[in-house]
Amino acid sequence: MVKLGAATPVADGGGLMRRLNMGTAVAGGVGFGAVGWLVAHHFLQTDVPATSNQVVIVTMICWSIGFMAGIGAFNAPLGWLMGRDLGHEDEMFLAGKDQGVSRYFRFTTDHKVVGIQYVAVTMVLLAVGGTLAMLIRTQLSHPNNGFVSPQTYNAMVGLHGIIMVLATIIAVTGPFGNFILPIMLGARDMAFPRLNALSLWLLVCAVPLLLSAAFLGGIPTGWSAYAPLADQAGPGMNGFLMAIIVFAISSAVAGANITTTVLTMRARGMTWNRTPIFAYGTVASVGLAIPALPLFMSAQILLAVDRALGGQFYVAAGGGSAWLYEHLFWLFGHPEVYVIVLPAVVALMEITPVFARKPLYNFNAAVVGLIGIVGLSLMVWAHHMYISGWAPDLNGPFMLTTELISVPTGILFFVVIGTIWRGKIWVTVPMVAVYAMLWNFIIGGVTGIYLSDVPADVALHGSMFVTAHFHYTLMGAGLTGAIGALYYWFPKMTGRMLNQKLGMVAFLIVQVGFNVVFLGMFAAGLAGQPRRVYTYPPTFATANLISTIGAYSIGIGMLLTLYVVVSGWRHGPLAPANPWGAKTLEWAVPNPIPLANFEVPPVVIADPYGYGEGDPTTRHWAEEPQPARAAPVPAVSGSSADGEGVAP
Amino acid sequence: MTITTSMDDMATRTRRFWLRRDVLHVVGLWALITVAGVLFSIYVPAHLMGPPASGTMREIEATMTAFSIAASPVAAVVWAVALYSLIAWRHRGDGPPETDGPALRTSRPAAAAWILISSFLCVLLLVWGLAAMGSVASAGTTGNPMVVNVTGNQWLWTFAYPQQGGVESDQLYLPVNRPVEFHVTSVDVVHSFWIVQMGIKVDANPGEITRTAVVPDKRGTFDIRCAELCGLLHAQMETSAHVVPMAQFHKWLSANGGHP
Repeated sequence: MVKLGAATPVADGGGLMRRLNMGTAVAGGVGFGAVGWLVAHHFLQTDVPATSNQVVIVTMICWSIGFMAGIGAFNAPLGWLMGRDLGHEDEMFLAGKDQGVSRYFRFTTDHKVVGIQYVAVTMVLLAVGGTLAMLIRTQLSHPNNGFVSPQTYNAMVGLHGIIMVLATIIAVTGPFGNFILPIMLGARDMAFPRLNALSLWLLVCAVPLLLSAAFLGGIPTGWSAYAPLADQAGPGMNGFLMAIIVFAISSAVAGANITTTVLTMRARGMTWNRTPIFAYGTVASVGLAIPALPLFMSAQILLAVDRALGGQFYVAAGGGSAWLYEHLFWLFGHPEVYVIVLPAVVALMEITPVFARKPLYNFNAAVVGLIGIVGLSLMVWAHHMYISGWAPDLNGPFMLTTELISVPTGILFFVVIGTIWRGKIWVTVPMVAVYAMLWNFIIGGVTGIYLSDVPADVALHGSMFVTAHFHYTLMGAGLTGAIGALYYWFPKMTGRMLNQKLGMVAFLIVQVGFNVVFLGMFAAGLAGQPRRVYTYPPTFATANLISTIGAYSIGIGMLLTLYVVVSGWRHGPLAPANPWGAKTLEWAVPNPIPLANFEVPPVVIADPYGYGEGDPTTRHWAEEPQPARAAPVPAVSGSSADGEGVAP
Repeated sequence: MTITTSMDDMATRTRRFWLRRDVLHVVGLWALITVAGVLFSIYVPAHLMGPPASGTMREIEATMTAFSIAASPVAAVVWAVALYSLIAWRHRGDGPPETDGPALRTSRPAAAAWILISSFLCVLLLVWGLAAMGSVASAGTTGNPMVVNVTGNQWLWTFAYPQQGGVESDQLYLPVNRPVEFHVTSVDVVHSFWIVQMGIKVDANPGEITRTAVVPDKRGTFDIRCAELCGLLHAQMETSAHVVPMAQFHKWLSANGGHP
């Protein structure tokens, strides 16, 4: 019923489209999901595992369709199908013109709204994943702890893993790739504004699917969900696979949109030599995600066939193979780490010249480094399978490609330290994030070299050493870069400054805690503690206790960071247009940002890194923030400005 | 003529660069961090991995030490510049810096040196890795190895000795200094057979037999764990490997109905 109602074509100048929001989406999802459940339940027996999986999967598909219909994702295409295209008024409505806060809860196409929505989703995911991390470390604080049962522990490890992977995939590309990137390119919106909204709401649709696993027996397989363990797992696994399928569609849509935007929407005069490195890195990241995520999605579709339709893709007894899953998973899984790390690193590369007051050092080398990483990262997946016994003779070649990737990665370090060299280092939270990345990512990189070496990997594979290694890359570089980017772009995104002093304290608490956790975990791994264990022999007790203490410190630092962000969002001093004196285009637009970003499309005559060059009187200077006014002002940009129209 | 001049020019500029005060300081800092890194590499990773119980594990620990030593000067370059910039090049005061830094866009010699040195180190690591891989692979397969069939099963290991009358056990007994080859499989999900102190590990896949080999060269009791999440009691899927003298091994075999 709900679905049919939501799918009615749009009436001219109003009607249904204007009444849809997150509330109708949830109602649509729950309603249609319930219909799906009732129908499936009526026709299928639930006492057999396969059919109970069928019921759960049908319900989840119906939730997804109902939710997307309820948010209005199908309005425009169905209207178009009926021969009614959107008029100018409708486009303006979709862009969120004059709607205040409610546009954040709608299918809004303005890239600035989508960016803020991504910030909110990322923060929710990080909060849930972080809470799970605290619970995991509590269980591991001492051996034979009975804090949670083994079943709960395994469920938490799986959920923590996949939530954090999804959160870090979107953590930079979502908020900043959507909000900042188009302005940085001098564009009025993304290339496909409606796809932008679609990608965001597909993500929102996937989150409850994933979290539902917690109430359906959890994800007992870890985030990698190796089959046949995943074939054997309870109904929570269906939440995992459905969430991945929906997320992969969201990611493909976002990737196509960002790539097209960078390729076609750059301002006049923005040649490739004048395009900011952030644009390169974001395209590199989504360019990897476009081939990678569908492989993960295929792996989960095959798993769904195994679980619900009696398929045997991963079941050896039926002619299937566990190696098939491992290949599909790691063909996605290794590019995925670069999908996460590259946007964070390029955000920090965008930050470094601003706070070192120097041009980005060796821009061309940075571009070559990114290209090298993208190319090689598609050819290294089987280093996750050295000990799988799949093809021992191929371990040598995969060791070669894996170790080669250290060369382009090293170039990125070269660019950053070259930019810092003899700079005027202005120590702010974003700049400290650059330093934290230099520390963490070196450790993550060097330990990655040990793991690329076949004999060393044989000893370390599946141990806590691996866990520590990838946290140093995904959290130490990925999340650290996202936090640095948030502090850097927050004044442009919200029109308010964050508290630098408190922010610095929070940031340092997180970083110190982080290093304590994972240096402890390296020690445990070297000594032979397997990962994903709910208890361990007493020999590992000291290392684990150290890790747990560090984890609580991250927790405290993250809560403080959350406080800084929320209080800055509400009461922070008003940000000037260009508080850091940066030269990229997003700092040239006023606060609050007009709906169409630029009144007059900008023309670019130089690259954005000309610090210390040219006539000093024409330089951008950092402007002082204004104290917050007593009367509340719109905290979020764009609401009062009169745009001339969204991008064609 | 012009080439010589520009060469001279470059030599002078290079000399002047290395004599700059900040460059000397960074080099000093780099040397200090490198020495600290090398000392750490020699004493810490291998120590944490514990005393090896096979040539394979000895090889792995040597690799860890060697790679750590090789990585020390590289990490030290990054950290020395970072640390020095925070001390000496830091803009003091609350506001933004009054002036910009020098507009250094690129340096061809620096970029070339960086790429050459990192590629060279990469090749070095690769050659080391391939050599170590070769010697590890040949370790267990020479000299008529004893076969042990290992079966993973949620959540225990079973060891069978087909050449010794099919003795079965949930603890692994091995004679010291005798090459042994493990044929590993699983009856349910993917497990990973890991003898921690011997540095060997291979996945146990349902429907497949994977192989690994080792020569245990130290008597004692060692840890066998599962290294692939295999369900509820993955954490407890552990048992012991007892490496004993040949005579004692034979005694154990006969006590369990097998023959030498």
